[in-house]
Amino acid sequence: MKRREFGALAAGALAMGLPFRAFADETCQSPYMPKITGQEEFVYVWTLGVEGMGDEQDKLVTIDLRPGSGTRGQVINSVSVGGRNEAHHGGFSADRRYFWTGGLDTNRIFIFDVHSDPSNPKLHKTIDTFVKDSGGVVGPHTFFALPGSMMITGLSNDDDHGGRTALVEYNDDGDYVATYWMPTTADMQGAVAVGDAVADGYGYDIRALIRKNVMLTSSFTGWSNYMMDFGQMLQDGEAMKRFGNTIVQWDLHTRQPKKVFNVPGAPLEIRFPWGSNANYAFSTTALTSQLWLIYEDEAGEWQAKAVADIGNPADIPLPVDISIAADDQTLWINSFMDGKTRLFDISDPHKPFQIYEKVIDRQVNMVSQSWDGKRVYFSSSLLANWDKKGDDDVQYLKAYNWDGKELVEDFAVDFYELGLGRAHIMRFGSSALYSS
Amino acid sequence: MRKRYLLSGLAVAALAAAALGWQVWQPQPAARPSPMASVFEASDAYQFDPPAPGSYRLNRIKSAPDGRVLDINGREHGLHDLTRGKISLVSFVYLTCGDVNGCPLAMSVFFDVHDASRDLPGLNEDVQLLTISFDPDRDTVEAIEAFAYPITSDEQAGDKLDWHVLTTSGSQALAPILDGYGQVVDRSEDQETISHLLRLYLVDRQGDIRNVYGLGFLDPRLLLTDIETLLMEEAGA
Repeated sequence: MKRREFGALAAGALAMGLPFRAFADETCQSPYMPKITGQEEFVYVWTLGVEGMGDEQDKLVTIDLRPGSGTRGQVINSVSVGGRNEAHHGGFSADRRYFWTGGLDTNRIFIFDVHSDPSNPKLHKTIDTFVKDSGGVVGPHTFFALPGSMMITGLSNDDDHGGRTALVEYNDDGDYVATYWMPTTADMQGAVAVGDAVADGYGYDIRALIRKNVMLTSSFTGWSNYMMDFGQMLQDGEAMKRFGNTIVQWDLHTRQPKKVFNVPGAPLEIRFPWGSNANYAFSTTALTSQLWLIYEDEAGEWQAKAVADIGNPADIPLPVDISIAADDQTLWINSFMDGKTRLFDISDPHKPFQIYEKVIDRQVNMVSQSWDGKRVYFSSSLLANWDKKGDDDVQYLKAYNWDGKELVEDFAVDFYELGLGRAHIMRFGSSALYSS
Repeated sequence: MRKRYLLSGLAVAALAAAALGWQVWQPQPAARPSPMASVFEASDAYQFDPPAPGSYRLNRIKSAPDGRVLDINGREHGLHDLTRGKISLVSFVYLTCGDVNGCPLAMSVFFDVHDASRDLPGLNEDVQLLTISFDPDRDTVEAIEAFAYPITSDEQAGDKLDWHVLTTSGSQALAPILDGYGQVVDRSEDQETISHLLRLYLVDRQGDIRNVYGLGFLDPRLLLTDIETLLMEEAGA
């Protein structure tokens, strides 16, 4: 079928991968949404309330990043949501007008309007029916924007509060659409276990490579573990068996699972690169401290393999958040226990190697970088019951400049000193995204 | 008797000849290719094969909104009156859009599906295309009529899907339609530039949105596969 001229132009652009760049977010977001390619103006921090501190409530904290602003590096707004929910992750809708955030304990979902006034988000809607809507899914975790809808990964279920869980889809109005349970050995749903993989049904993160119609999900642990005291859990042999060991490949369009890969040790974040011929993704395993590559082989089949250690796995540094550079050449990897960030050269995705490391503080969790990679932000909290205790429980957002060789601290915001709570996921905002 | 037998024999022969002639000369309805997506060749832009139609479920995402729209003759219609009764592919565009990854791409995909529908006999009884302008100030009835000329003047239009090119009387009539579909449009302060996310919507015969397509999934093969899946669902397959 012959395309018309403008169609050919568009097809050419598609072939070059332009739309994926043009409509990508700053390095780690859903490829469907507009991105901030210039200076981010605000960073929104989804923050866990702490008993006896401030208003004790979970809150969305806005920090000013505008160059030249009199309040740059300061908290300029905060929206409390009326209680503590084990605030954790969040993601923008595909039109980037709303920021969806979840509470892993109460299963409440808070949708903030970030477009009416990007400097001052407002709570737009609260979904209190996630468990009932979804048919028993617990722990809304990753919010991945699709056109017209939001795909939410669960971490658990309300039957045994273990790790068996599902993907849950809502439309952009916040109305429930569908639930897609993770494949298990008892119900593979047509998926194939690769090698010695055992489909555990666990969930954590979700990312997609649209061009290949591939969606990947990873696996963590259920409510009974993520709400347990970290030290107590480490001593509980049975609890330590209840971690995910799989990454699942899905058909993005049909939402059907295709393959289950054996990725032992709780694979967490998943990141696809941006290159038009880059048919792979990275993930890191929390317990085994390895960097994994999920890739399409020469025969067109997707595979998974470990490609590097992160620090000394025997020390259990506990890799957490990762952030891929827009040029696909480097990957920041944070590890919670040693408070370090490490930069890996991933120019050959099959042979990545570490090129830099720096201790950010006594604990570190999330990392976000600007589209140009020159500014890198870190935050501190993992889970309320897993964060370190006493003086090691530092809670912050720290901003750094990256010159290609060294991270140089720009400013820091002490979340405890300000009575805010535990700083978790960060997402950027900008008034330039909205012209009206 | 013989004559009568002869007449009877002639009559039978004539009937047989007539029947044979009907079979020889009357065109049989052409079979619709299955899967329907097979009328398109694979494109490098979409590096995957569409699923088998009917092998998956398209969820009901939400109800498509109603509203008042104007056709190329200036006649006003209720949007539900147009969308209900057929499966609809709906896109929002503005005619002066210069972003190759925006409206021109949506229009290109629609032209592809429209052209291909000639090879899908009878599909026009079940499926239609709707293009709605989100720039009613510039995309007047006269403007959309001119734009639609290649469609309305197409000598083979009767064999292809109906394609409704529509606008509205103004922003007040347009707003609830955009809000209902979730089509975001940002206008610059001078109203000259319109930023928007490219979206296509698949609306079933009952008026429910069954899929929303963004960049990367505007593969005409995928659109036809989803349409075929809805048709199979209607048929109870």
